[in-house]
Amino acid sequence: MLEIKGLRSGYARGADILKGIDLNVTAGERVAIMGRNGMGKTLLAKTIMGLVKPSAGDIRLEGAPIGAMPAHKISNLGVAYVPQGREIFGDFTILENLRMGVIGKPKLGLEGLEKIYDWFPILRERQSQRAGTMSGGQMQQLAIARALIGRPKLLLLDEPSEGIQPNIVHEIAEKLSAISATEGLTVIVIEQNFEMVEILAERVAFLENGLITGESPTSRLVAEPELITQNMGL
Amino acid sequence: MTLFGLALDAMNYTSVLLLVCIGLVVIFGLMQVINLAHGEFFLLGAYTVLVAQGVGIPFWLAVPMAFVAVAIVGLLCDAVILRFIYDRPVDTILATWGLSLAIRQAIVIVFGAQSQQVAAPLTTPVELFGVSYSSYRLVVMLIAVLVALAVFLVLYRTSIGLAARAAMANRQMAQCLGINMRRLDRSTFSVGAGLAGLSGAVMAPLMSVDPQMGMGFVLPAFLSILVGGVGSPVGAIWGSVVIGGSTTLVSAWWTPVIAQIVVFLLAIVTIRFLPSGLSGLRKR
Amino acid sequence: MMARLLPTLAVWAVLAMLPLLLGEWELAMFGQLLIYGIVAISLAFIWGQGGLVSFGQALFFGAGAYAMSLTAKGMLPGIPASPWLGLLFAIAAGAIFGALVGGALFFGKGLRTAYFGIITIAAAVIAERVTTNWRFIGGFNGLLDVPPLPLPGGLDSADPLAGYLLVLGFALLAFLFLLAVERSPYGTVLRGIRCDERRIMSLGFFVPIWKVVALALSGGVAGLAGGLFATQFNFVSPAVIGLALSTEILIWAAVGGKGVLMAAFIGAIVVKYMEGYLSETIGNYWLLVTGIAFIVVVVLFPQGLLGRLFKLPTPYRLRGD
Repeated sequence: MLEIKGLRSGYARGADILKGIDLNVTAGERVAIMGRNGMGKTLLAKTIMGLVKPSAGDIRLEGAPIGAMPAHKISNLGVAYVPQGREIFGDFTILENLRMGVIGKPKLGLEGLEKIYDWFPILRERQSQRAGTMSGGQMQQLAIARALIGRPKLLLLDEPSEGIQPNIVHEIAEKLSAISATEGLTVIVIEQNFEMVEILAERVAFLENGLITGESPTSRLVAEPELITQNMGL
Repeated sequence: MTLFGLALDAMNYTSVLLLVCIGLVVIFGLMQVINLAHGEFFLLGAYTVLVAQGVGIPFWLAVPMAFVAVAIVGLLCDAVILRFIYDRPVDTILATWGLSLAIRQAIVIVFGAQSQQVAAPLTTPVELFGVSYSSYRLVVMLIAVLVALAVFLVLYRTSIGLAARAAMANRQMAQCLGINMRRLDRSTFSVGAGLAGLSGAVMAPLMSVDPQMGMGFVLPAFLSILVGGVGSPVGAIWGSVVIGGSTTLVSAWWTPVIAQIVVFLLAIVTIRFLPSGLSGLRKR
Repeated sequence: MMARLLPTLAVWAVLAMLPLLLGEWELAMFGQLLIYGIVAISLAFIWGQGGLVSFGQALFFGAGAYAMSLTAKGMLPGIPASPWLGLLFAIAAGAIFGALVGGALFFGKGLRTAYFGIITIAAAVIAERVTTNWRFIGGFNGLLDVPPLPLPGGLDSADPLAGYLLVLGFALLAFLFLLAVERSPYGTVLRGIRCDERRIMSLGFFVPIWKVVALALSGGVAGLAGGLFATQFNFVSPAVIGLALSTEILIWAAVGGKGVLMAAFIGAIVVKYMEGYLSETIGNYWLLVTGIAFIVVVVLFPQGLLGRLFKLPTPYRLRGD
């Protein structure tokens, strides 16, 4: 459902950091992208999302080219983005943050709210509080909920485990894989933390020096953990 | 002048200042652009009324016309100039500066540099608590407060307002959530311009209408948004109150020149110690 | 390498030869154009190198012009009426005003470009109103009969040839001075601040001081231009300190090219020269045309029209090879 071919991209013209990414993700699949810092993982997410224009290559979502589209159109085609650092609106209430998840989508209202609250009960409890007052793990849940309420086909998560306690990481990972399974949601998660990947992803792609250098089913990495360090060039 | 009359003057000035500031603040909040052509949008509003009166259109019809006309001008500026340089904030400031020069000069060419008068629709003063006060000034105050209130309702009570505030807080994230920033920028710039035009229209009978009036009126507005906090709509209220109030009072006690100096120093001291203006106080 | 230097050298050579080509009247006019050139490079320096867009550069120019006039006319108590001392005071006044504006703004936390723009606009507007209303410095009419600079051999700067050469000398001096600063390690830090203030801060530079000094240097050069203006035009008025002139200076620097001193210098000379001819024929349309030209340059040629032509080679110190 997402096909990336020969994708090149960079923050400055003539300085590509991604140097020809090839990646295929099928519908309903959950894929992790692992790699060291500075290898271009976040840039890959931003390029898929339309925040950075590719300098070459092709990105297709369900066959439609989205490489040249602005972010809001890509969002409306069903790609939801949970960026690194969560980027929730700290001055807004939790409910307002959730409303932001559907505000750009004329066909959607808050009808999905109850389901979201069932998945993340803490958000129901605190719905009229300012989002900036929550803990890191709660903010992450809000960021994910804000993405899900827009009924995406593809969820793009960038370092969702960053700065969150291990038990919450488990909880979020399990919840996400359950949601993906019941809703048929495709997930791409960018991670360094294998605990998250182990639960959430079925397949791992390794990104190094701007290229996908290897792929492996998660189960194989669980059995042979040394493959992870090898593939990440550690 | 009695103290009460002075207070009315201050409120009158503050309310119109607020109307001008809201446009500036929302445009800045969204695009990080100080619109230096805002004074000329004010100017265009005043001249719209002048022209409309010249061809016999009643004043109260001319005021909304000024809003629409200047909003269209704003839309044009966006389409012809600003959309090419949205990603270069400093250049956008410069371009609006050039725009202000060009509009002002176009007015000089069409209408001449001399000052002209717009007749006020209401001339009989009213008695208020024993003070005789211009009824037109009261109406201006009422209009300004109502329009400002409407803008705040839109900002804080509607989906469009939520989207605009989200975009002000985090432009990129708002875009990722499906908000078309180009459309939002364009409509904001246009409405902001329209509000400046509306302010110019209602102020026209109270000022001498000449090509320099815009800069004169908008300079305090610039200072107000510095004092209030450039990106904060609520800050615009505090800023206009401080600048509008102190300008009126100091002008009455000393001279307008001293008032201008005092207000300028006030603004510098404020941003020196509160870089996000008065609205930064709350968050500390 | 030399080829990159040629346009700049050619400009100075042509300017030095102008006295052979032009009559007295035109020479005097070119002398005045050079003064505008000096103030344009003062803005190009602070804008192109430090990234600070001053919308009120005439404030420093005007401060210099008034300091010059007051001193040369002997209006300052206890200070002898000396034009040369006046020129010194003009430079000092510009530098002090620059340092004051900088000091008031840059030591606060997190100042944005937009603030600097607004404050400089407001400062220029207020300076013009204050000078208009201050009787001691001549009020609306300004100060007339500012004496010329006395020169050796019984000459003074009112003599067209001597005046022109004097102004040319100062222009060259100002140009070389700012160029030297620009190409020194200090200039490198300044450009660093323009690109990423926080990073420079984290490298251990106390950024506010650097910016204040840069603004003081720019103000000093603008003050010099103001002082020369007062003595060559023999008068000052509130118009030299206000927004109208500030805007003109901004346009010269932008049209020529803010990043390159010589480009801004020529920008001022060419635009002002054209104004002399065209404003008579097209009158009010001149300002409209410059306003539109300014917008076009800002949108389409952010480096100005002449920036490429006069760009000098990178200092040896900063070359990779």
